[in-house]
Amino acid sequence: MSMQTATELHTVSLTVTEEVIRAYAELTNDFNPIHLDAEFAAKTPMGRPIAHGTLSLCLIWQCLERNFGAEVLADLDLQVRFIQPVYVGDVITACCQATEAAPDQHKVSVHGQDGSKRIVGTVTLNASHPLEQGDKA
Amino acid sequence: MSAAPVLFEDFQPGAVMGECVEVYDAQQARRWQAIFGSRPEDGANGASEGASMAVINMMRAYLNVVTPRPPGNVHARQQLRLRNVPQCGESIRVTVQCTHKEMRRERRYVDLQVSGTGQGGRTLFDGVISLIWAA
Repeated sequence: MSMQTATELHTVSLTVTEEVIRAYAELTNDFNPIHLDAEFAAKTPMGRPIAHGTLSLCLIWQCLERNFGAEVLADLDLQVRFIQPVYVGDVITACCQATEAAPDQHKVSVHGQDGSKRIVGTVTLNASHPLEQGDKA
Repeated sequence: MSAAPVLFEDFQPGAVMGECVEVYDAQQARRWQAIFGSRPEDGANGASEGASMAVINMMRAYLNVVTPRPPGNVHARQQLRLRNVPQCGESIRVTVQCTHKEMRRERRYVDLQVSGTGQGGRTLFDGVISLIWAA
């Protein structure tokens, strides 16, 4: 794959609805009321139900596959922080951007429709077989 | 009578809390595709779906092992080393170990190490789920 600049990279978006959160709860077997019970969530610092954090990780995988190919998902290191919640009605978008730290290291993020970051982190591709500077990808 | 929830004070750093086997099956695939798309370009029946299944079954295993939980826990951080993508039909054995806990700014932080192996013991993933524990 040819090198692309950050502005050329593909993003992946998802509209988060109550149905999406319910479906993801069934998929993960995670029925924490902070995701599903408005009355409970109102009494927490979140104020209202939030999506599962790992739901957004699935968008990051889709973003990485679209930009770098399926094979990169079989060998990577990921570190992310869930810095702001994702609420019902949010349209979230996963992005990745090259860093100068290493050829296979990228910033990853998920942001909302207002541009606010919800997840930030880094991913290192080819993590167990890192490319040396100057190696061909 | 329901069991008492696992509280912050119950976590013992260094202790293996348990393991369980989850299966990435056709029902999980259908549910994933209903949310994230069913086209090849969505990663359906492919790498994005498979990588998602590593995370989904990591979470299922944690929820099965550390139970019951107080309501309102929040996922704060995630580290994950993905070394192979699970395949549909594959059984995933996941072990869960508490590696750290601390109080910080009146919040209860718990780190759980999760390691997943697939068919024939092949390494799939390992990582750390960092949670803010509710009680």
